[in-house]
Amino acid sequence: MRNILIIAKRDLRAQFNSPVAYVVIGGTLLLLGILFFLIPHINGVFLGSFWDVDRASMDQMFTFLPALMSLFVIPAVTMRSLAAEKGSGTLELLITMPVKDSEVILGKYVACCSMVLVLLAATLLYPLTMFVWPWHLGPLDWGPVWAGYIGIAFFSFAAIGVGMMLSSLTESDVVAFFTTAGALCVLYGIGFMVSTVSWDKAGWLSDSLAFVSFQSRLQSFLRGIIDARAVIYFASVAVVCLLVSFRSLESRKWS
Amino acid sequence: MSNDVMIYANDLSKSFGSFRALDKINFEVSRGEIVGFLGPNGAGKSTTMRILTCFISPTGGTARVNGHDVFDEPLKVRESLGYLPQRAPLYLEMSVLEYLRFAADLRHLDAELFRKRAKSVVEVCGLAQVLGKEIKYLSHGYRQRVGLAQALIHDPPILILDEPTSDLDPNEKAEFLDYLKQIGKERTVMLSTHNLAEVEASCARAIIVSRGRIVADGPLDEIRAKSGRVRYVVAIQESADSAAYRGRGTPPKKGEVEDALGKLAGVKKLGELPTDEKAHAYELVSEQDVDLRPEVFKLIVDKGWVMLELHRDAQTLEDVFRSLTIGDERRNRSLAAAAEPEEDEGDEDEESDEEEGDEGDDDSGDSDHDTKAAEGRS
Repeated sequence: MRNILIIAKRDLRAQFNSPVAYVVIGGTLLLLGILFFLIPHINGVFLGSFWDVDRASMDQMFTFLPALMSLFVIPAVTMRSLAAEKGSGTLELLITMPVKDSEVILGKYVACCSMVLVLLAATLLYPLTMFVWPWHLGPLDWGPVWAGYIGIAFFSFAAIGVGMMLSSLTESDVVAFFTTAGALCVLYGIGFMVSTVSWDKAGWLSDSLAFVSFQSRLQSFLRGIIDARAVIYFASVAVVCLLVSFRSLESRKWS
Repeated sequence: MSNDVMIYANDLSKSFGSFRALDKINFEVSRGEIVGFLGPNGAGKSTTMRILTCFISPTGGTARVNGHDVFDEPLKVRESLGYLPQRAPLYLEMSVLEYLRFAADLRHLDAELFRKRAKSVVEVCGLAQVLGKEIKYLSHGYRQRVGLAQALIHDPPILILDEPTSDLDPNEKAEFLDYLKQIGKERTVMLSTHNLAEVEASCARAIIVSRGRIVADGPLDEIRAKSGRVRYVVAIQESADSAAYRGRGTPPKKGEVEDALGKLAGVKKLGELPTDEKAHAYELVSEQDVDLRPEVFKLIVDKGWVMLELHRDAQTLEDVFRSLTIGDERRNRSLAAAAEPEEDEGDEDEESDEEEGDEGDDDSGDSDHDTKAAEGRS
């Protein structure tokens, strides 16, 4: 346990010592602002900007934030965790310290999760500044906001698992970035396909798509429901991915 | 296995696919020994060290470090050793002090002990000037020192150093070998290198590996004697400068000396050594059981030349190393050419060795000759 925290602390510090953390947080807040306030209503795709909708809700943020995270934040945060260490050889020095392989994986996982939680905390600025101080744009119902944050947190834990797994399978952080972004976009985006497979009369295809998709899983959180099935699903994805990363790290011994 | 055996390898094998990186190697290293682990590229040095540090697992055989098996107790093994991998891969964005603290944290040193150890390690490795600097701004030599410092931070009984001197300049190398001798007084040290001069300077014992097998293991003198050849150095005055020439007639010409020495019975090889214009110096090689010195002496007396130097030593480690490993390499190459493409699949880490290796060998050769020549002149 202690080793996990030591490794997590080091990794987190490395993220904040490099521009990655600031680019990720700054970039996300900026993009989120543009998407939140400026993207017009496009039928079936975007529900319209905050001003178009003219309601005191954070729906826009919770629609765009997971997409931004899949495409940009999580790949950037996880790409260096194992791939870069393997590439530069620092992993050899880390692993030959008296630490277990599992502690290395968990330490890095904890670091990535903390980084994403810092980012989520930063996005709290939006509801706070808009509805609490200095502006009062309307009476915000905080229930769905907190539920949405909890949903996005669990979504991130699963997505970071996917990112770590893909990062553990390569030695190049660029490859890790793009494979993670691709995989997360697919996992998130197939949710949108549910409505398009109308030829599927029995509904098993749309059901299974909705079962797998991160996007469908997030929907109930955005309505203010903490869905235990979704929590378990995200947690399972994270656990399975971490197990694969662990095996992949261990496989160096036998290759 | 006695208590004093710190590193023990028994029939250790490692295959990467069809490539046998290690083929049943056996050795023991006792407490307080400094052992040089030598071999050409791809011989299995790094592989052995990675097995001993539990980074990779052997495909066969057993290894114990400080009495702990690498399979059963990898954490105990790692606790009792300090390891510096090839090219010192450190976290570049950390400062030296941060890095040392990180290493100490992972080894569960408390703050008090860390301060104490850090002080001594910084002193030994000469890091005081760069403690606050980020590692990415340090030269390779300094990075290597930081790597050594992290290996020493917990005062381990065993040190495993994979090519610790490859990135150092000659001054740093000499300093490093001095540290090593200091450090090695109470510790067991195993270092791999291509540079034979380093082994001669710092180790009492060498293990030479080639193509995954141990070809020689023992005290340096024993290994030197192993080739069964003896080397002589002869220096004859070429010009007396302003002083009167004490020999008969005029000083001999170069060709004359060479011819005469080459004609002596028992001379297997004759080579010229670099000298200044005052002397002709030659290196003769004979079989072990022949003593050339009387012949050489008699020849010089007969000719009336002035002898500046005549001494005999066992072959240099470098020669032994070559004769032990190159032949093996060639045999394997011809086999490999017949059976499979000779690219090694396994060791991705050996590429960088090549440049360093050749350089290192040349270095050691030159310095060797230079010292001999200097002896001749003095």
